[in-house]
Amino acid sequence: MIYFQVLANGLILGGLYACIAVGFSLVWGVLNVINILHGTFVVLGAYVAWFAYAYFGIHPFVSVVIAGAILYVIGHAIQAGLINRVIAAPVLITLTLTFGLDLMLNNAMLVAFTADYRQVNLANPLPAIIIGPVFLPGDRVAAMVLAFLLTGLLWRTLRDSKIGRAIVAVRMDREAAALMGVPVARINAITFGIGALMAGAAGALLSIVYPISPINAPIFLGKAFIVCVIGGLGSVPGAMVGGIALGVVEAFGAFWFGPEHALTISFGLLLLLLFVRPGGILGKKGYE
Amino acid sequence: MKNWLILLAGTGVLALLPLLGDNYLMRLATMVAMYVILAQSWNFIGGLAGYPSFATAGFFGLGAYTSAVLQGMGVPLFASWGAGGLAAVIFSALVGGAILHLRGHYFAIASLVTVEVLREIVNTTPDITGGGMGLNLPIMRMTVAEHATFFFYSMLAVAFACMACAIVVHKSKLGFALRCIQQNEDAANILGVNAYLYKTIGFGFSAVFAGIAGAIYASWVHYIEPPDVFDVLISVKPLVMVLLGGLGTIFGPVIGAFILLTFEEFVWRTFLTVHAAALGVIIVALVLFLPNGVLSLTREKLGLRRRAAGEKR
Amino acid sequence: MTMTHKVFSAALVASLLAFGASGAAAQDVIRIGAPLPLTGPLSPEGLKQQRGYDLWAETVNAAGGITVGDTTYPVEIVYVDYASNTPRAVQTAERLITEDRVNFLFSPFGSGAAKAASSVSERYGIPTVAATASSAEVYDQGYQYLFGTFTPNDTLTEPLSDIVTSANPDVKRVAILARNDLFPLAIAQEMEKSAQARDLEVVMFERYAIGTMDHSAAVTQMRAAQPDWVFATGYINDLILIRRQLADQGVDPAVITMIAGPAYREFIEAGGALAENVSSAAWWHPAVRYDGEDIFGTTENFNAAWEARYGGEADYAEASAAAAGAILQLAIEKAGTIEPSAVRDALASLDVETFYGHVRFGETGQITSLEPPVFQIQNSRPTVVFPEAIKQADFLFR
Repeated sequence: MIYFQVLANGLILGGLYACIAVGFSLVWGVLNVINILHGTFVVLGAYVAWFAYAYFGIHPFVSVVIAGAILYVIGHAIQAGLINRVIAAPVLITLTLTFGLDLMLNNAMLVAFTADYRQVNLANPLPAIIIGPVFLPGDRVAAMVLAFLLTGLLWRTLRDSKIGRAIVAVRMDREAAALMGVPVARINAITFGIGALMAGAAGALLSIVYPISPINAPIFLGKAFIVCVIGGLGSVPGAMVGGIALGVVEAFGAFWFGPEHALTISFGLLLLLLFVRPGGILGKKGYE
Repeated sequence: MKNWLILLAGTGVLALLPLLGDNYLMRLATMVAMYVILAQSWNFIGGLAGYPSFATAGFFGLGAYTSAVLQGMGVPLFASWGAGGLAAVIFSALVGGAILHLRGHYFAIASLVTVEVLREIVNTTPDITGGGMGLNLPIMRMTVAEHATFFFYSMLAVAFACMACAIVVHKSKLGFALRCIQQNEDAANILGVNAYLYKTIGFGFSAVFAGIAGAIYASWVHYIEPPDVFDVLISVKPLVMVLLGGLGTIFGPVIGAFILLTFEEFVWRTFLTVHAAALGVIIVALVLFLPNGVLSLTREKLGLRRRAAGEKR
Repeated sequence: MTMTHKVFSAALVASLLAFGASGAAAQDVIRIGAPLPLTGPLSPEGLKQQRGYDLWAETVNAAGGITVGDTTYPVEIVYVDYASNTPRAVQTAERLITEDRVNFLFSPFGSGAAKAASSVSERYGIPTVAATASSAEVYDQGYQYLFGTFTPNDTLTEPLSDIVTSANPDVKRVAILARNDLFPLAIAQEMEKSAQARDLEVVMFERYAIGTMDHSAAVTQMRAAQPDWVFATGYINDLILIRRQLADQGVDPAVITMIAGPAYREFIEAGGALAENVSSAAWWHPAVRYDGEDIFGTTENFNAAWEARYGGEADYAEASAAAAGAILQLAIEKAGTIEPSAVRDALASLDVETFYGHVRFGETGQITSLEPPVFQIQNSRPTVVFPEAIKQADFLFR
């Protein structure tokens, strides 16, 4: 059955979308910052993995940790040094700020790495898993599984750790959290750092799937944006559901109506969802 | 009255520009006029009513394609421009009816998505629009100077009409209603303001001039492609211009348009491959270190809007 | 309030005027404007063109300059980045002509931008050479001042179809996947015609949107259609991804052809083992052999100059950029003046041999005299398989 193959395509794609989006969703939900830098963070993570593989032979799956750590530091510094200064300003102002920062960082990457596309070509790629008529590319599946593990780990951290609960508290009510003694500025920086960490990790995973170049950043940002809206802002399970929903819809849309219509269909679905359920599939009611 | 004088004087001075005989300066001035139109258009819905619309590129592109397709069918130039504006208004009414009940982020996203949908529709109907191959417009047989002057005056005339319309609206019941909606939409509804109607009208104003500007733009460049006229930057720039100049004011968008174009032109000339970063530095510096320049006029209003929109913070 | 507004606007008008007053240098060099996408999505292409133009300009200036009548002018290329944004490319063209006072123009990259910018140079009557625009649609507006160094798209798909069908009559089913963009779509449509003319069955013809991140659905469809020949068009990013996803789902047809990307070393580096046996066609290849009258002379000389300047071999885009300069130079020398309309006439009547191939422009201004070679990646090198005269290896089927 060819539909199983299409479904498998959609699920694998969706897993990667979820991983790209989860950090973006966290930052948007908790800080109310639409982080235009997110796509560039993903690409930066992919470059970390590429350099690690090209010069030290480190497998990109291992580089997930390295890329995550580097991006965390960058994200934390940007939030603590710059965005926190205007965090109380309306969302359009912080959006403009991250837009300006993105112009700088992306341009710097373009100058440093050039726009030439690079790709991690693994010396020993995982073999494809063939189940009946369904082809599952080994490395993609592995990347997707790792993406889910990471996202699950983030979800547990938010639920169970002290810092995680502080983040959730800030998300729910910033003023009340401050009154309860939560160091809001520090939590902001940590949250933004975690958002960047997830972007970097996603980038490292994507490095074996997609060609790497600074000019791909807007594509990743766009996907993160859509996934967030479909799933609901600031929620980790929401990003996962949104990512998978988008992946599956795109796969079937492209299969039935032709690849040129895949985008139109997913946008149409998004509009429809906004009418019916503006908070996203898993969004809470009244959360506008 | 003072507003009218400023507008007339400003337009009058600009109208003398062709006397200098510098075609490139005229191109820049035409672009300033186009930016003014786009910024002022956004201001109707974004500045007055507090609805952060990203639909500007949709209106612009729809106007461009409507007039281009009609001209290909032999419709005269000015009629096709009018039709471009009309198409944008009709579209805004249809879409506005559907998405204006959303607020805050969600309205922003929905309006952004309408642009993407329009672009993909144009992309996938090659028989009418040329699709990804783009669309040619009839070439005008006139000299370089005539060409530059004609499009400069056309754009300037629309900018003037748009500004005049803004002055009227700001003073009118519509302007008052839109400001009420921005400050507290629920209260406005309770007080008997038909918020939905006024929002839709405001959205229509933000469409008509952007549509005409798109139509003129298409004739100006002779050849349009979907990624060019449905460019997301066409939606983002008006917002930046209005924020730079002053949200919800009459001349703020004009000032913002001048500032943005001047910055763009300056960094673009000065830095060959790092002009994007240079523009980024300027934007970041403005937001961080000159908050009075950017925020003083806007913080209060945006703050009120956010509370009105009931966003959770 | 209003007073500050007025002062502010006045200052801005003044600053705009100041921009207007700059430029206008004395005429002791030949200035050529080159709007290029040095940043943004097309920047790899922009940098290639820049390398080609630079090599030409440096070679000319090292030889003393271009001889026009009894004076010799050095050349200067004025680069402006248009950030891969077509409206900005149009604006750039006007700025170069009116402010920087360039004598001639090189088109921006690709069919779409070249077409959009050509309306400006046409109005000002500035001879313009497009180094990277092949689609016939670019030249269909009746413009007098636009000249292109790429032959129409069917000159690529015809020899490709010839060699594939003659070498392997078992290839019968063709699947075409095209990026929905001026050049990739135009060449895919030519491929469809070439295939139909040879009684090949086109079992699939799909377009994908610009910025597509995943081709798995198209590849699944392709697998179901069981093609012998997969023909994919797009730019290097798209093609690397498509090649990888074909392998992911085990689609392994006898022939995989991709345009335009495989000629670039970046494609071979990024594609790795998957790049092997991918075939393509381009307007030029370092293996062609011509004995030109231009500044570079023979193709071997050009290759040596390139090697000395940049290392490695030039690809067709880089060579075409250098050729655009060399061709313009021939026209200027032939005209004996830098007066635009005279140079335009000289370009239109040009009929000479160059390192790049024979140069003669057709009615529309597009070159008609090239014979684009077909090549295939073999052992990580683009290897010419057609035409016979310069063939380096046989076409390999899977």
